Amino acid sequence: MDDVAEKIIAILRKNMRDPNKEITLDTKLTDLDIESLDLAVIVFDIEDTFGIQIPYNANEEVQDFATVSSVVDRVKAVLAGSHTSNAA
Amino acid sequence: MGLNGKERRVAVTGMGVVSCLGTGVEKFWAAIKAGENGIKPIEGFPLMDLYISIGGEVRDFDPRVHCITKPLLLADRYSQYAGAAALQAVQQSGLETPFKNGERAASIVGSGAGGLATLEKAYEDLFIHKKKATHPLTLLRTIGSSAAAHVSIDHGIRGPVFGTVSACSTAAHAIGLAFQMIRSGAVDIAVAGAGEAAITYGSMRAWQAMRVLSPDGCFPFAKRRNGTVLGEGAGILVLEDLEHARARGATILAELCGFGMTSDAADMVNPDIEGPTRAMQIALADARLSPGDIDYLNAHGTATTANDINETRAIRKVFGPHANRLSVSSTKSMHGHCLGAGGGVEAVVCVQAMREGFVPATIGFDEPGQGCDLDYTPNEGRKREIGYTMSNSFAFGGLNVVFGPAPN
Repeated sequence: MDDVAEKIIAILRKNMRDPNKEITLDTKLTDLDIESLDLAVIVFDIEDTFGIQIPYNANEEVQDFATVSSVVDRVKAVLAGSHTSNAA
Repeated sequence: MGLNGKERRVAVTGMGVVSCLGTGVEKFWAAIKAGENGIKPIEGFPLMDLYISIGGEVRDFDPRVHCITKPLLLADRYSQYAGAAALQAVQQSGLETPFKNGERAASIVGSGAGGLATLEKAYEDLFIHKKKATHPLTLLRTIGSSAAAHVSIDHGIRGPVFGTVSACSTAAHAIGLAFQMIRSGAVDIAVAGAGEAAITYGSMRAWQAMRVLSPDGCFPFAKRRNGTVLGEGAGILVLEDLEHARARGATILAELCGFGMTSDAADMVNPDIEGPTRAMQIALADARLSPGDIDYLNAHGTATTANDINETRAIRKVFGPHANRLSVSSTKSMHGHCLGAGGGVEAVVCVQAMREGFVPATIGFDEPGQGCDLDYTPNEGRKREIGYTMSNSFAFGGLNVVFGPAPN
């Protein structure tokens, strides 16, 4: 597991009622009892940690945040995008 | 119960509105009938890093024109909107200001957020500009009871005066409480509703952080809906004991005949079907009506994924087979989500719809969203003889309020 994934899992644990649950990349967020309002807090924490902005909309992007790996992928995509735009 | 042991009936004798579709019922209603969209790019302040940049801002409001008293000119915008709408409503009612019998009158005028613009400015002065003091009126402008107080001062209302606070159900709670107080005989007249002016930079950042706003528009019940859009303004009714109104020869615009309020006691953001269902059922029972009596329902219809499916299910549960004959619409598609003031603005819509036999549209409707299978009056309003109406207001925290304006 890489650095981005480890940081994201640490953020998930910080916002879970039971932080000792096992988390892998395939774990579904719903299995961690993470609900929509929790997710808003988690996305905020991720933005703060990585210094990025994720225009996440709770009304339509549920699939992008279904599993741990989907969150990691989304963050990596934003990170890659922000590096590109910095270079441009 | 009234003084003679009979239950008193409650008339609507005045209405006032401030909204992005216009200030004053006439202008507002003309825009609603025409299906105009009041949601536009925000111009009231620099957007800076906001990525949600649309809202239903009030654009035609001049405090010097729309607020007649000096204290109100010094108030926060949320109070000015409420005060201006109250003035329109009182003028329409024909009641003389100050009220002759102010001890028997109430001012129940709430706000979901209070004077946010004032508070933000004060904090900016303190924390950014390191000023030595805030503006001296910061406190009076900010408090959530100042709109109710201003309305009482403007019209000499000396009975119960207070604001309600229940997020997006605020105005509906205010109107419902006023209705109960008149029906019970506690007062004869009430000015009730709410004002809201929460389209500010800090507030927009807070809403943006909740991830529930649409960057595109407010499309209730539609497939393409992707969140709500903030509006602002005020909606105020003058309610009056029916006999009191008749005795002075007032024009009776409508009768308010039922009210229901419940709570889900479940979740701050995810609505439940049971709470809204009970609120509608209680309002019907309170009005001694059956589901088949309602012709038009002004839905809460916020255009969030969760509300619109949940509300549709609750309506189906309450109305059964009649749900298919019910005209439903969410006028938030035109005036945005006016938050605390929403129930007041939408009460004006219900009364006008009934008086003119016209069902307003849900605009911006592409095709029905999944699980949204009622007649939402897509894109174009239509004529329909309307007997009884119902107005839904649901709020964060699972707070549900429903009331029913009826024909005179």
